[in-house]
Amino acid sequence: MKLSYLWMLVIAMGLSFSVTAQDELSLERKQAVDSLALEKVRDLSKYISIIGSKETDAVEYRRVSARAEELFMSGSEIGVSSLLKSEIKYFTVGKYFERLNRLSYSKVEIEWYNIEYMSDLQKQPDGTYVGVITIFQKFKGYDAEGRLVYQDTTKKDITVYVKRKETQIGGRLIGFWDVLLGDMRVKETSK
Amino acid sequence: MKLLIKNAPKIMMFILAAIIITSSTTSCKSKKKLAREKAAAEYTMKVDQAKKDLTAMLNSTTSWSLDQQDERLNVIKSYNIDDKDVVDLISKVESKLSMDRAETERLAEEERLRQIEEEKLKVAASKYQKIDDQLNSIATAQNVDIANKKINLILQQFDTPDIPVLIIISNAGGFNDYDRPTTISRFLNYLKDKQSYQYKVDLVKRDGLGKITELELIKN
Repeated sequence: MKLSYLWMLVIAMGLSFSVTAQDELSLERKQAVDSLALEKVRDLSKYISIIGSKETDAVEYRRVSARAEELFMSGSEIGVSSLLKSEIKYFTVGKYFERLNRLSYSKVEIEWYNIEYMSDLQKQPDGTYVGVITIFQKFKGYDAEGRLVYQDTTKKDITVYVKRKETQIGGRLIGFWDVLLGDMRVKETSK
Repeated sequence: MKLLIKNAPKIMMFILAAIIITSSTTSCKSKKKLAREKAAAEYTMKVDQAKKDLTAMLNSTTSWSLDQQDERLNVIKSYNIDDKDVVDLISKVESKLSMDRAETERLAEEERLRQIEEEKLKVAASKYQKIDDQLNSIATAQNVDIANKKINLILQQFDTPDIPVLIIISNAGGFNDYDRPTTISRFLNYLKDKQSYQYKVDLVKRDGLGKITELELIKN
């Protein structure tokens, strides 16, 4: 093999090592990334509460639903279940928020709790970290007289994708962790 | 016999004088002997005490301060004790005290620098405290209308609503990991939605007019 090709190979290996070194996570950094992904799911829970609330006006609804949609990968779907029906329906993220905002109850309360990793973020061959976070959702719907007319508790799994990306900010290269949520699948529904 | 009796007083005087001279000579000798013995005992005590003190200083089993140890060492040296062990101990203690003093000075310098650094951080922290308080006030606003008013007020400090906001999620090993960059307008509304402020302002960049052009926060 020509010497010049050998040098090119050595340089390429050295460069790939330095990039890889930045991507290799220490325990502390991994914990920060885990925490970041969990926080995005908590952000979603807050957005869902706001979107579902009858006190949210149209302007705020549009702003919040746009922010909430940005949390998801394109094409992601959210599952919807009911104690009154056995079928679980899946909607695109935008459609789900529209339906949530237009529910016929006079008052809606949505609370997420026990937001935890079901499977930890694992690095894939392409460098993306993938994991699954489980949430429990308590839904309550009230009529105009303030009576509780419907409630259920749903367990859902959300696939989470985390990838390291770079962007230019103020003339400098910034490395950041891009967290995107995937499908939200219903696992069980109970009273 | 008559001669003896005639000279008895003289003889008596002579005998008495002899007794006096002898006894004073004897007591003089005893005193000197006593004095010598006393001096020897005192010297032995000095040597023993010196060894004891020097050993304690060498093994750091004394509660004396460095200055007190220096003082004691100088006193022992002034005795000019010609004892091999003491001379050896003095040398070792001198060396040890010199190292101890250097270490004390190093630690004092470290502490001084640490305090300077701490003071700098305090000043930096208080420099951005006002902004932290303003951001926190949005998160803790009683309702959406009040939060929106605060947002509009705070935005006046910024060059545009789209100036970048960077959030550090980790700075392990001196390497910053960031969340997805956002804008100040989006971030302020995020605080309104989230109703929680869990950050600390880490860096503020301003233009010539004093308007903020970049904001960096660190997540708690």
